[in-house]
Amino acid sequence: MSSLQKRAWLALWSMCPVYCIYFVAQIGLPYLRPTMLERIGCLAVVASFHAVAYICGLLVIKRHEAGEPLLQDERDRAIDGRATRTAYFILLTGMIVVGMVMPFSNSGWELVNAALFFIVLTETARYALILIGYRQPHLAH
Amino acid sequence: MTNEVRLLRFLAQDMTQAELGKRVGLTRQTIAAIEQGRYSPSLDVAFRIAHLFGKRVDEVFHWQPGGDQGMETASSDAG
Repeated sequence: MSSLQKRAWLALWSMCPVYCIYFVAQIGLPYLRPTMLERIGCLAVVASFHAVAYICGLLVIKRHEAGEPLLQDERDRAIDGRATRTAYFILLTGMIVVGMVMPFSNSGWELVNAALFFIVLTETARYALILIGYRQPHLAH
Repeated sequence: MTNEVRLLRFLAQDMTQAELGKRVGLTRQTIAAIEQGRYSPSLDVAFRIAHLFGKRVDEVFHWQPGGDQGMETASSDAG
């Protein structure tokens, strides 16, 4: 497994579970009438979990790769480039929805969560496309 | 595009994929993908591989019309 594949798996596994829990919790949270501070705290806890899981995983990967002569080559960069290009359009669409459409009907935390959702979706799509690019190259075009 | 990289490695004292990769600046995984026909390298890498085995590029890599459909290429990222 290449270095980029390992990092993509790590990013998916560290990000998807915690943000899935966060977004599911957001459905029921308004009924509990949380304060602004509680909502910020909830987001901070989720972001911290994500960061700690990713950094720990990255340290393990770096330790295993200590003797590797080359971590990325032209194929890795090509796969990464294609995945990033597709993810960019997802992010662009998401930001248009959040910044230009939603403000007419929604406000506050709905906008915050929608923006966060599109950022997570973009990152998930990017890493998923990287993994698909290695397994089924023709899909990565 | 087909190639003779696997055969040439075998003829070069069974050189490993990792060793070939190290000498031409690619990872072992990419050498494996080239051998399996899942990846078409850039012209620069193709020349480096051919030069390493003392061959011409057309002796190592063989292009067939319509043969690259669905194959990943180094240049497909440029667009």
